[in-house]
Amino acid sequence: MPPTATPKRLSLSEWFKTITFYEILVGMKATLSHLLNYKPVTLQYPHEKRTLPDNYRGMLALLRYDDGTEKCVGCDLCEAACPSRVIRVVSAEVPGEPTKRYSKEYYMDMTRCLFCGMCVDACPVDALGMTREFEWAVYDKRQLHLNKQQLLAIGDRSFPIREKRLELQHPNVAFFNVPFKHVPPKPN
Amino acid sequence: MSEFGLRLAISLTQIAAVMGIVVVTVLLLTLAERKVLGWMQDRMGPMEVGPYGILQPFADAIKLFFKEDIIPAGANKFLFTMAPVLCLIPAFIGFAVIPWGPNWTLEIGGITVKPFVISDINIGILYILAFASIGAYGIILGGWASNSKYSLLGGLRSAAQIISYELNVGLSIIGVVILAGSLSLVKITDAQAGWFWNWYLFALPAPQIFAFVVYVISSVAETNRVPFDLPEAESELVAGFFTEYSGLRFAFFFLAEYANMVLVSCVAAALFLGGWNAPYPGTILELLGFPSLSWIESTMWFAVKTYSFLFLFFWLRATLPRLRYDQLMRFGWKVLLPIALANIVVTAIAVFITQ
Repeated sequence: MPPTATPKRLSLSEWFKTITFYEILVGMKATLSHLLNYKPVTLQYPHEKRTLPDNYRGMLALLRYDDGTEKCVGCDLCEAACPSRVIRVVSAEVPGEPTKRYSKEYYMDMTRCLFCGMCVDACPVDALGMTREFEWAVYDKRQLHLNKQQLLAIGDRSFPIREKRLELQHPNVAFFNVPFKHVPPKPN
Repeated sequence: MSEFGLRLAISLTQIAAVMGIVVVTVLLLTLAERKVLGWMQDRMGPMEVGPYGILQPFADAIKLFFKEDIIPAGANKFLFTMAPVLCLIPAFIGFAVIPWGPNWTLEIGGITVKPFVISDINIGILYILAFASIGAYGIILGGWASNSKYSLLGGLRSAAQIISYELNVGLSIIGVVILAGSLSLVKITDAQAGWFWNWYLFALPAPQIFAFVVYVISSVAETNRVPFDLPEAESELVAGFFTEYSGLRFAFFFLAEYANMVLVSCVAAALFLGGWNAPYPGTILELLGFPSLSWIESTMWFAVKTYSFLFLFFWLRATLPRLRYDQLMRFGWKVLLPIALANIVVTAIAVFITQ
């Protein structure tokens, strides 16, 4: 059986605190001290922006090598890694180079992206990168369905320093998916 | 010009001046409230319009003027249109009897004019209380005519709250009226001249400290301000009685709330804090040899008292959470009402013995 609620008898000091609004005065002292020691925590956002952390994960982008060719080899691993099915890759052979593949079409539905960075981790050739862009508010949701050209453009403006091609970075390693001069071109 | 025409012209000039001051004060208050509230909560308040956001009231006013005026389907159109006006007029009309400065008289064209009070009627306080009660009709009718459950609940709460707390306002004022022997605000203020211990807050034989506390709490409740903002409790009732209002009608309600705040602050300053009297006898400007300019000092003292009272409104709003409805009613009827009644009895006995 729960104890019955009996009205608690106030001690003299408690009674005095009640009639002098002591607790309210304590609260008012707190607010007044904040007014007198005014230190706002506000950041005036559009005018001043906070410094982003080094590992900030912003807008996704497709990258290029330093000779301007796309890094993407169309392997679909990013599509497989993506937990929210943002990415759709249409892979194809490079015309005239039967051992080499590329992504003929590459779509990202950024309305669903949760910026986990798993696609970047999954990419075997580091063709994907996360930029530091975050101001991507748009008036039409469809503007967030990005195609390959748009993603490459984001990469171009966010990563001005590009890598060399892989085979030039590591001359002693044999690479898959790199054209060899002695492989005869596929007859058309 | 005939005497009537001259009287009319002088009165209209005074009314225009007072209305101008009140509207400017309300504009200032909307900004000051947001700024002070922000500073107390470690925010900045409005910062975008003008340097440090000082033009924000004008931006708000322009926005409210040009918003679409919506009358909800099923609303009682006549009452819906009437309610904001019914709320606004009583809020402004009370300023007619507030003395802003010393009780001087001027002779203009053979007519005696009191420059610092529009109308020195001998029932000043009664007049203010009567019109404050009419303001409650605006809120109730606005809530009822909107055809919305939130508005209706807000209006009902407001009706109960205003009736309960206006009683306390009236009773807390009676002590002062007993001491002064007059209902005229001019006479009450004049009776508090001299040092600050002549103010009715401290005056012998019966200091009205308890009455002042009751008045402050009840006036906060009467103007529907935090912590007594149950009629417009936004977490429960969307916006209370003006949920369905938009545009200019909403602006009227808003203006009425702030004008009411200024009015109760002016009344508190006039009744308990000596009105335009400085805390010392006379004025400094008079001692320095500018007796014709001493009204500036007097009105400044009135402004200081009124504005510090208004600051208290913001301060309470930044500090306190909203009361529950039963707490509000219990506090009003079981705590404040007995205190106010006891104060009347004590004051009456003290005045009877000392006279």
